[in-house]
Amino acid sequence: MAGGGVMWVEKHRPAKLSEVVGQAEAIGSIRALLERPAEMPHLMFSGSAGVGKTTTALCIARQVLGDHMRDHLLELNASDERGIGMVRDKVKRFSNYAAFADVPFKIIILDEADEMTADAQTALRRTIEDAARVCRFILVANNISKIIDPIQSRCAVFKFTAIPKGDLVAHLGRLAKAEKVAADRKSLEEIYDQAEGDLRHAINILQAAAATGSGKVTADNIRAAAGLARADSVEGVVKAAMGGNLAKAREGMVELVKVYGMSESDFLKYACGAVYRAAPPNMGEVLEAMAKYDYRILAGSSPEIQLTAMLAELGRLGASR
Amino acid sequence: MMWSEKHRPASLSAMMGNEEARGQLAAWLKGWRKGARPVLLVGPPGTGKTTAAFLACEAFGYDMVGLDASDARSRSRISGVLGPVMGNAGVSGRPALIFVDEVDGIHGRADFGGAEALLRLLKEPTVPVIMAANSDASPKMKSIEKASKTLRFRPVPPRLLRAHLRRVLREEGASLSPGTEIRTAEGCGGDMRRMLNAAQSLAAGFDIPADAGQGMLDAQAGTDAFFAAGDAESALAALRAMRMDPREKIGTLFSAVATARLPPEAAARAMDAISEADLLYGRILRTKQWRLLRYMDAALAAKLHRATRGAGVRYERYGLPWQLLNRIRWDGRAVRSLCGALGRRMHASSSEFSTVYLPYLAYMVGACGAEPPDLSSEGGDGGQALAAALAKEAGARGGMPR
Repeated sequence: MAGGGVMWVEKHRPAKLSEVVGQAEAIGSIRALLERPAEMPHLMFSGSAGVGKTTTALCIARQVLGDHMRDHLLELNASDERGIGMVRDKVKRFSNYAAFADVPFKIIILDEADEMTADAQTALRRTIEDAARVCRFILVANNISKIIDPIQSRCAVFKFTAIPKGDLVAHLGRLAKAEKVAADRKSLEEIYDQAEGDLRHAINILQAAAATGSGKVTADNIRAAAGLARADSVEGVVKAAMGGNLAKAREGMVELVKVYGMSESDFLKYACGAVYRAAPPNMGEVLEAMAKYDYRILAGSSPEIQLTAMLAELGRLGASR
Repeated sequence: MMWSEKHRPASLSAMMGNEEARGQLAAWLKGWRKGARPVLLVGPPGTGKTTAAFLACEAFGYDMVGLDASDARSRSRISGVLGPVMGNAGVSGRPALIFVDEVDGIHGRADFGGAEALLRLLKEPTVPVIMAANSDASPKMKSIEKASKTLRFRPVPPRLLRAHLRRVLREEGASLSPGTEIRTAEGCGGDMRRMLNAAQSLAAGFDIPADAGQGMLDAQAGTDAFFAAGDAESALAALRAMRMDPREKIGTLFSAVATARLPPEAAARAMDAISEADLLYGRILRTKQWRLLRYMDAALAAKLHRATRGAGVRYERYGLPWQLLNRIRWDGRAVRSLCGALGRRMHASSSEFSTVYLPYLAYMVGACGAEPPDLSSEGGDGGQALAAALAKEAGARGGMPR
């Protein structure tokens, strides 16, 4: 677990279902299901970023597979796989051989499943069926409405809710204590607000703020730490576009996408967030334009052209405010 | 209107070049009886295959039912289009004739179902079938040739092209210098359509650099001609004279517009036009309906030209500052592999890692002196490129943003 040594998010990631923060209801049902692991159905977790979906999936894998996790767990991220073909090939190779006798099945975690097109999901349906003899799937998605019904109906669906503020803050407090960081409740609440309920982001902020203040977390440190996330760069791009500086906006966008490999889908997600926060008077039109180009990215051939055209459209809407 | 459309010959005998092939085509259709072998017209683009087939139909009173490579992709489509026609009259009551364009494209894409359906059709034709292909070199074309009679169309000789060019220029009230006239006729490789497209843009006053005098415009000349054009028609002619891959063509226009610093309203409209062209191209790629390509130039010419007229948009080879291009080229790959590798360890997609983890990791390493993760098992070169990428990111995060 290199990387885990540095980043608290990984270092303190819950290893057991009982340690997952703030999902009492979903975790309760899942633990009941796992009492007879051999009968576990395919699972689907939906919910916003940083509420524990992937962590829960990993905890299940650890509980069911134990020491065999290494060879019996396949982690895929739909946003990284180029097309359903890659997913199918990897699943096929993985499900070629059955699990060892003391493990009921192999597990495939498919993260960001809602990044797959409807066509790819239709193909995935068959892949799930073919592999079901040997494997169980855990599909993870932000937005369950983007998952086609036939896939949903093959899974037991669990909705992960936003982590309640009290739970998240208390968890940050435990973490701060374990890392010997001085942080009062007010600071931790400030972190919660900055992270907008995303626990992963909150932990990153806490860690960076603590490092800046040499173990002491202050309001200034928190705001600066929150600004590190690249979502802020997207906000800068949107501001430049709406301010009429298309060249600057385009260069910022190209850097994010082509140097940092930010997916168009993530770019649009953060751009939408930035528009919501800025709340321009013609926000409806702005969001409509973004929706239009979101579609065009999927249907067109060059995402760079489509995103630039979107920024140009934002420039027009920014000028007409 | 495009000269190449407007000045299409009115009859088979008014066509230029390929007399022998045209004569054989007319004789074949005139003497056609049920069961007669189909003809296959083979020749390079712009030599008159489609025109000859169309005019032959007109001359002998047939209704042409067209199929091109994209229609003929699948067996069901072939049967769907042709089934009702076989042994039947066309829509207007005149007998039907089937014309299959780009028949070499069917094989080129390994659409075996389509090719089989076509072969079956060729063996028992109940209506006349004309096929056209640019080349019969592929081994799979042989099976089609075996079942049909091949007529060869050759490039139209420059002498005839030039005579035709002069007539068109006269009818259009336009003129070119004798030198340009000769270069245009000789430089088009015997392709009539290409010659007329180039001539139309030349006559509209575009300055073609000497080395691009191949009867077509290179990216720079074409782009500049497009944005300098006085009306949408000349703009369209310039686009058509740019013989390049549609993706590159869109990219070239995009680069020019993106760097032009247009006022917001014009920039939005121009980008919208380019975005629509890209959208169309995306659909074409996905559905393999290549025939839709014919609308691309026209759509671009109308909208993009209107949005940018008189704005002085110029060709721009690199649409981005060189620092950024260098970063994409030199840093991009390593940063993306870094994010892929560490993303897997942290159970995040590469995009997610790049967005929510990398800035914090870089900060912890760069500004707070944390130990960077061990990357020696990643990548082909012991992770050195990845470690260097992380160090560079960490260096850039040396101080906290305030």
